Amino acid sequence: MDKLYRNKLVISTLILPGLLLFLFAILGPIILSVFYGFTDYSGMGSYNMIGFENFLNLLKDDKFGLALRNSLLLALGFLLIQHPIAIIVAVVLDKLRGRAEGIFRCIYFIPNVISVAVIAFLWKSVYNPDFGFLNKVLAFLGFSGQINWLSQENAIWSVLVVLIWHGFGWGMLIYYTGIKNIDPVLYEAASIDGADQKNTFLRITLPLMKPVIQVNVTMAIISALKQMETVYLLTGGGPGDSTQFTANYLYQQAFESFRYGYGNAIGVVFIVICLGVTVFLNKVFEERQEQ
Amino acid sequence: MTKQEDARRFKLGKLVLWVVLIFVAVIQLFPLIWLFNFSLVSSTEMFTSGILVIPEEIKWSNYSTAFEHGHVLRYLFNSVLINSLAVISVVLISIVSAFAIRRMRWKLSGLVKTLLLLGMMIPIHATLLPNYMIYSQLHIKDTIWALLIPYVAFSLPQGLFLMIGFLESVPKEMEEAAVMDGCGIYRVIFLIVTPMLKPSIATVSIMTFLNNWNEFMMARTYLSTPTWKTLPFSLLDFTGQYRSNYAIQFAVMALTAAPALLVYVILNKHITKGVAMGAVKG
Repeated sequence: MDKLYRNKLVISTLILPGLLLFLFAILGPIILSVFYGFTDYSGMGSYNMIGFENFLNLLKDDKFGLALRNSLLLALGFLLIQHPIAIIVAVVLDKLRGRAEGIFRCIYFIPNVISVAVIAFLWKSVYNPDFGFLNKVLAFLGFSGQINWLSQENAIWSVLVVLIWHGFGWGMLIYYTGIKNIDPVLYEAASIDGADQKNTFLRITLPLMKPVIQVNVTMAIISALKQMETVYLLTGGGPGDSTQFTANYLYQQAFESFRYGYGNAIGVVFIVICLGVTVFLNKVFEERQEQ
Repeated sequence: MTKQEDARRFKLGKLVLWVVLIFVAVIQLFPLIWLFNFSLVSSTEMFTSGILVIPEEIKWSNYSTAFEHGHVLRYLFNSVLINSLAVISVVLISIVSAFAIRRMRWKLSGLVKTLLLLGMMIPIHATLLPNYMIYSQLHIKDTIWALLIPYVAFSLPQGLFLMIGFLESVPKEMEEAAVMDGCGIYRVIFLIVTPMLKPSIATVSIMTFLNNWNEFMMARTYLSTPTWKTLPFSLLDFTGQYRSNYAIQFAVMALTAAPALLVYVILNKHITKGVAMGAVKG
C-alpha cells in the first residue's frame, strides 16, 4: 500500500496541473516582470537594460508615495470606521434571532455581490453635481450651492466612502460568524454570575473573537493595498493623482504613459510590499497569541 | 427597580437595536434603490429636485434599449460559460492537488504546498503587465484561454488551502480499505474521497464564483474584441456609446447587476455560509 502512495508517476499526474498553472500564470509572469523592471521598454519596439534606474526613480516618485499614503488612509478607514460598525452590527444582529436576523444579514451583503463596475458607475452618479442624490439631499436640507464631491480635495474622501460602504457586508459577515461560533454556555455562565451586557461583550465576546478580528484586520489591510478596480473606474486615480493607488498607477504607467519597464518595476515592488505586509501581520498576531 | 421599569428599559433597548439595524440597512440599500428608480424615468426627469422621482410614465423601454445595445444576452452567456468552466477546473485541480500534498508520500510536498499557497498573497494586478505580453506572444489574447487560465490560477491557491484543511478531517480508513481491495489512487480520489468533500466543494465553488464573476480588469487587459467579453462589459462598453442618455445607463447598470443579485437572493443561505467558512479558514 505504501508503494501505491509513493508512486512517482501518479504523484506527478496529480500535482502537475496545479503546479504548471501556477508557474504559467503567476510565477512565470512575476519573473518576466522582474526582467522588464530592469529595462526602459515602452511597450513596443526595442529596449535597453538600464540596471536599477527604474527602482531608483521609484524612490523619488511622489505619485508612488501618494499611492501608498492613500492605501494607508483606506486601511485606517476600514479599521477605524468600517470594522467598529461591523462588529457592533454583528453583535446586535446575533441578539435579534428569528427571521429578521436572516433578512438583515442578507441585505448587508448585497453590495458585495454587485459588480464593481456597477458600484463605480453608480457612485459616480451619486456624486454627480447635476442629478446625484447627495447634492439633492443637501438642497433638501436648505443648503444652497453645489459641492463637487470628486474635486481634488474631496475625491479621496469620496472614494473612501464608496470602498467602506462596499466592503462593509463582507467584514460584518465574518465578525458575525465569529460571534456565532462562541459557545452559548459561556453567555449563560456570565448571566448566572450577574454580568451585564457591557461586561459580557468586553470580557467574553471580544476576547473570543480575537482570531476572527485578526483575520479580518489582515484582509482589510491587504485589500487596502490591492485597491484598483473602483478607483480605476470612479476617478482614474485623479484629479491630479489625488486618488492614486499603486495598482492603478502601475497600470497607467505601462499602458497610458508607455513606460512599460517602469510599470513592471512598480509591480515588482508592489508584490514585495504585499508579501512583506502579510508576513509581518502574521508574525505580529502569532506572537500576540503566544503571550 | 420595579418590574415595570425593567420592562420599559428592555423595550427601549430593543428599540435602539432595531434603529441601528434599520439605519445601516438603509445606508447599504438606498443607492441601489435609487439606481432602480432612475432606471425607470426619462432622462429629463432625473434633473428634477426630488431625491427619488415618481415618473410620469414608467419607462420600461430603457430596459429594452439597454438589453439590446448592451449585448446583455451574449455577455451573460460568456460569463456563465467562463465562470462555470473556471469553477469546475478549480474544484477538480484543488482536489487532486490537495490529495497529492496531504496523502501521497513524496519529498517535495511541503515545498510545493508553500509555493502554491504563496499565490494567495500575490496581487493580481502586478501580473497584468507581464501576462499581457505573454498572451500577445502566444497569440491567445482575445481567446477564452486569456480569461480562463488566470481565473483558475488565481482562485486555485485559496481553493487548495480550503481543500487541504477539509481533507485533514476526512478519515483515512475508508480509502485505505479501498486500496487494500485493489482500488487505484484515481478511483480512490474520485469515488471515495470526493463524495466526502461535498461541503468543501460547495465552499470552493462559491468563493471561486464570487472572485471571478465580477472581474473586469483582466478581461479589459487581455480582450479587445467582443467575442469573449463578460457581463461587466455590457456596462463598460455602453457608457461610451450613450454618454448623454443617463436613464438608459441606469437601466444597463441594473441589468448588469441583476443576475448575480438574483442568484444571491435565491441561494443566500448557502452563499453566506460558504463565504463565512471560506473566509474564516482562509
